Amino acid sequence: MNTLNELKQLIHDMFDIDVAKLKNDAPLADYGIDSLSLAELLFSVEDHFHVDFPDDRQDVNTLTSLAALIDELRALHPA
Amino acid sequence: MRRRVVITGIGLVAPHGDTPDAVFEALLHGRSAIAQWDKDGAHSAVVARAPFDATRWFSRLQLAGVDRVSQIAVAAAEMARTDAGLDSLDEATGIYIGTGMGGAASNEEAYRGYYSSGRIPPLTVPAFMLNAPAAHIAMRANLHGPVFTYSIACASSAVALAEAAKAIAYGEIDRALAGGSEALLTPGVLSAWQAMRTLASPAAEDPSRSCRPFSTDRTGLVLGEGAAVLMLEARELAQARGARIYAEFAGSGVSCDASHLTKPDASGQVRALATALRNSALLPSDIGYCNAHGTATLIGDPVECDALARVWGDALPGLAVSSTKSMHGHLLGAAGALEAAITVMALHKRALPPNMHCDKLDPACNVTLIREPGHAAPQLRAAISNSFAFGGTNAVLVFKHE
Repeated sequence: MNTLNELKQLIHDMFDIDVAKLKNDAPLADYGIDSLSLAELLFSVEDHFHVDFPDDRQDVNTLTSLAALIDELRALHPA
Repeated sequence: MRRRVVITGIGLVAPHGDTPDAVFEALLHGRSAIAQWDKDGAHSAVVARAPFDATRWFSRLQLAGVDRVSQIAVAAAEMARTDAGLDSLDEATGIYIGTGMGGAASNEEAYRGYYSSGRIPPLTVPAFMLNAPAAHIAMRANLHGPVFTYSIACASSAVALAEAAKAIAYGEIDRALAGGSEALLTPGVLSAWQAMRTLASPAAEDPSRSCRPFSTDRTGLVLGEGAAVLMLEARELAQARGARIYAEFAGSGVSCDASHLTKPDASGQVRALATALRNSALLPSDIGYCNAHGTATLIGDPVECDALARVWGDALPGLAVSSTKSMHGHLLGAAGALEAAITVMALHKRALPPNMHCDKLDPACNVTLIREPGHAAPQLRAAISNSFAFGGTNAVLVFKHE
């Protein structure tokens, strides 16, 4: 599974949002994910993908940008 | 001019259920909700858990960073409003919520994470902060008036109710959602209470009988969880909309022992009792029922009886007493609100819930204890609910027929 699909599945598992409704380039706020639930999401993403978001890289607002950041961090520190 | 205040709605997430009628009926029949609880197999305790289905009130997304203590508070507040027959509330409605510990489960999860992996859930702080339950109620109901949190140990929600009633009586607000919430049945918190040696020993033959207030064989308190919220309303407003009125909030009295952090003091309790009677313009002989603080600790129960005797004097035999903690345990920050709801229901139904499991009344507890289920009280006109806290704060609430 590619990062984007894996991310969608994680969001579904966490927040019960239908995977089919998750659009790659829509703002996360469109699904009701606010600054608090985003913090929870990023925490779970770190656990799930074994990455560590730098403090200055948490300004993601779409699934595409989040998936790209995950891939970038994974490339820096391959498991 | 002091306005009269009435109770028009009751919302409960209690060990006996979530509807006032069913909860009161179970109590009236003497059914205990106290049971053995084996959490994670490692920690076993006798507690009173409140059944609660969060998915009935929240989506998964809404639950992010919302501790159980806030979840049950929101549910109880919504049920109080619905029970009062109100589809929505004026945005100036007040919120007065008591809690002893706030989000205990979130706190515990954070410490567990910190000492194992070093990772702490990012919403730990907003989840455990003590004013989270009140703030979540405000956001859910879209209320912009006074939103207050009271943390006064076992008197938290009794004081919250007293303050809300005063704000309505003095015309600051017309309505309030007032009560309390507590959810601290976690392994760490239970262990902390056990370390204090205040918890009841599990009754070997039947754990549901572990809490025995005023009985010679009592061994301590049983922790419970839950939320209780009352809809308080200015009487003229309630009458104008033809609301069902459970009872009138007649007055309250608050005092502090200022003598010992945990040991109760009869003279401090006497002050609160006397103030409550004066504040509600009632005499001891007017009060037919006392929902006692009665935690079933060795020291606490006789002190409460002593205080009642000193205020009631010759009228003491006419005061029926029971501690319903024998059946629902001690809800700490939510205890005052749940017991206020039970006291209000006793007036409404003209029936007294019993003090269960007191097989042999302690001679040092010389009060008229209601020990049998299903006690009718057709003459009942007024009743009090006592909440005496660690820290020395004593709160007494007085209710009467409207």
